[in-house]
Amino acid sequence: MFERWITALHTEDAGLEEPAATRERFKDRFPKNATRRMTQLGLLVGASLEPLAPAETDTLVYASAFAESRALEGYIDSFPSASPTLFQTSIHPSAVQQALIIRQQAVRQFFPLTGGACLPAQALQTALLAETPRVLLCGGDERGTWLLENAAASGRAFAFALALSRTPDGAIARLTLAPADITSSTGAPFDLPAFFDVLHTRRAFAGDIAPSLRLTLDWL
Amino acid sequence: MSALLPPIRIAACGTLTAFGNETETLAALLDGRHAFSLVPVLGRDGGDPVPLALCADRSYDETVPPGWLAPLTALAARIPGQDWGSPRRPVFVTSSNFGVGSLHAFRRTGDPAHLAYGTPARCVEWLATQFNWGPNITTFSHACVSAHLGLLQASRVLAAGLADEALVFSFDFLSPFVAGGFHALKILNADLPAPYQDRATGSIGLGDGAAFAVLTRDRGDFTLAAQSLHNEMHHFTANQADGSGFAACLAPVVTAAAGRRCWLKGHGTGTLEAGRLETAALSRHFADAPLVSWKGGIGHTLGSCGLVELALATAAIRAGRAPGTVGGNGPTFTPNVALAPFALDAFDSVLCTSNAFGGAHAALLLSHV
Repeated sequence: MFERWITALHTEDAGLEEPAATRERFKDRFPKNATRRMTQLGLLVGASLEPLAPAETDTLVYASAFAESRALEGYIDSFPSASPTLFQTSIHPSAVQQALIIRQQAVRQFFPLTGGACLPAQALQTALLAETPRVLLCGGDERGTWLLENAAASGRAFAFALALSRTPDGAIARLTLAPADITSSTGAPFDLPAFFDVLHTRRAFAGDIAPSLRLTLDWL
Repeated sequence: MSALLPPIRIAACGTLTAFGNETETLAALLDGRHAFSLVPVLGRDGGDPVPLALCADRSYDETVPPGWLAPLTALAARIPGQDWGSPRRPVFVTSSNFGVGSLHAFRRTGDPAHLAYGTPARCVEWLATQFNWGPNITTFSHACVSAHLGLLQASRVLAAGLADEALVFSFDFLSPFVAGGFHALKILNADLPAPYQDRATGSIGLGDGAAFAVLTRDRGDFTLAAQSLHNEMHHFTANQADGSGFAACLAPVVTAAAGRRCWLKGHGTGTLEAGRLETAALSRHFADAPLVSWKGGIGHTLGSCGLVELALATAAIRAGRAPGTVGGNGPTFTPNVALAPFALDAFDSVLCTSNAFGGAHAALLLSHV
């Protein structure tokens, strides 16, 4: 069983908010002119990560099921004159890169994940196997338009970032990840929005989050 | 850096490129051949001709199911063992493209059948069904260093005793979606790539690529002796001009390589600035080691390049001869760039590097036991 301590957490629940509104809301959080170029997901992930002050020595794990959906839509719709900016912006893990390039903040170990129903489990396992004393786990998605209509984008915009430590000093929550009985029921899929909701509401959680992994989360 | 990890063994690996499997690809590269054809960048919609190395008998334009399914299935059939995706035999899938070209095809044609492969999750779930894998699948996507992340995380899972064996599986197939993007960035033009060549204009060529590696703690005659990552976060499409990002990634691997007789398999896409920085950084520590890039032969296989070229390196070591830098004819950025094939009798290890957007760097040290 792995045990870690959450020492900091920040969440951004933008819900159905349009990117322009998110941009206006965060215009003072990022350098002038930066918000104009950032995606909604980049803004949300950046705003979540910034209070945690990422450092080069941290391991950074990032989870997003759909990544930059609006940039992807825009890039596809730019054909036949493909947009280089939207192509570059649409590439996973653009959101974190937008946030850290603004800060010129190098990070040695960066693990961007994508996936579906088991994405939080995979991201947590990646985070808990990291070698560095502090691990930052962040994630999120943004609301699509025509991709959403075709079930290929998120229906809501959200982001989170949390810091994990091996010691309980200053912790706000205790997190464990343990092997689960493969035959046990996993219940409803514990996907990225489900994990976000647990974090955002700071709700205690104990349950299977993948066919062979059980998560417990206790807030202190 | 993975200095805390014990060496991880490679029990099996294989690849698929436009030339075929690793044996066929190695033979072609040793002959100095390239697999490029000039293809309209937008496929059936035309556009400028660009050098693409496509697997045989598949459509560049997206189809339903994708035309790359058949060759990818043939590659997957070569993976030894069963129960992949079960709790003790996890799968680590890496890609920079998945089936995203299908989203472009859907938008272009209106055919909803393309949507079944368009998102990473759907694409991987569909492949897992095709290959009879269980649900224990972790998916990484970090542009052209994606495969290195799968190798490192698989190594960590093994080192922690959470798995008996781990499968790393990577695939990237070209489409108008991805080639159109690189063409828009003006690094994919009509010229063939000439990695590490000091010329007026840089260019890359893109290639289909897929590969697998079965990692274990104690079986196989190749060892991942060290793995390293570094992310500059300086600029989306440029590196720190002083080469510090390359140096930071190489530092731990240089330490691990002490006392070994290394040759170098670099990233070498054919772009000029990155090529200069990479050759300078590698030459600083390995001035006498021959350096090659194979992307002038098979093309840049994007997120899969780290695993495709790892499989080719193992094939080269078994054959005792490494292909040179196909596509280059000098002058090169540094004198240690090897343009011709060379014998590997004098070497016991190869340092393999990859780079990606965002100033992402990855390196691994592969040793023959």
